[in-house]
Amino acid sequence: MNTALGRPETSDAEVLGLLRRGAREQAFARVLEGYEQKVFRLCCALLGERTQAEDAAQESLLRVWHALERYDGRAGLSSWIYAITRNRCLSALAHRRTFDSLDAPEWGEHSLEPAADEVLPNASDGRVQQLRDLVELLPERQRQVLRLYYFEDRSVSEVALMLGCPEGTVKTGLFRARAALAALLERRGLADPSYWQEMTS
Amino acid sequence: MSEHGIDSQLDRALDAALEQALRPPGLPQRFRAELGAARRRLEHLDVAQVRARLQIEHREQLTTLQADFVRIRRTTLGTLLGAAFAAGAGAVIAMPWLRSHFGPLAPMLIAWGGVALGVLLGMAALRGRLGMQTR
Repeated sequence: MNTALGRPETSDAEVLGLLRRGAREQAFARVLEGYEQKVFRLCCALLGERTQAEDAAQESLLRVWHALERYDGRAGLSSWIYAITRNRCLSALAHRRTFDSLDAPEWGEHSLEPAADEVLPNASDGRVQQLRDLVELLPERQRQVLRLYYFEDRSVSEVALMLGCPEGTVKTGLFRARAALAALLERRGLADPSYWQEMTS
Repeated sequence: MSEHGIDSQLDRALDAALEQALRPPGLPQRFRAELGAARRRLEHLDVAQVRARLQIEHREQLTTLQADFVRIRRTTLGTLLGAAFAAGAGAVIAMPWLRSHFGPLAPMLIAWGGVALGVLLGMAALRGRLGMQTR
């Protein structure tokens, strides 16, 4: 019941109505239908690592389940769910920084490589991986905005809602990410447009 | 990137390449079952345990925020002090030459030069910020 990548069709009023009737289970089912993919994508964008993103998405949704009874509709359902998810991801990132400072192995090594059941048409093309590696080199915030922008079908408003910031901030982040990526390509001699056009043709 | 300032062939090519490289990841099929199992496990968990875990997490977040805040303050203070020392050193080095060319007007010239530089830097920063916001 959610659009391919756009806004979920689950309405706040519908969930609120179910909660008022004491149908918490059904309300949560509606939340899952509308938001589980979005929550997972937000976790992927913020954490950049599939296994951690799965854990974070699961814990976020468990928190939503626990807090659902107290949801009173004052905040939009999506904003509320995304705020819970962001908090969970921030904790995961803080833990990761602690481990990194103790010389733990690299977390981002396998980043967002597709799962076994997800086959990319051009996965054999090394350029896909090359570009993913370059994105990994961007500063954290720029990386997060850029990932989410493409995950959410280039919707700035949706990215802003999910990150809980104004659209202008998202645009600024995208502008900086684009500029940093262009500088990286220039430095590595990969700034030839035809090189990237071949990848997508 | 299509609607926000794509102005070159490279940008367009990169936009399409990024779209391909950063495809939205799909949830694994086992996710819903695992979530259900975790929910059932949590039903039996003591509320106090959950609260304690959340409090620890909250404290960790506050510590991280505090550390980031202190780091930003240190960076800002360092930049200000560095700039002030650099400006002072520049003025001391340039003063003899300015005195020989402009006489008693030299100190005033340095002061106005500093003001002009400050205004220029401020305007450049503001322009950069506004420019990026509108793109």
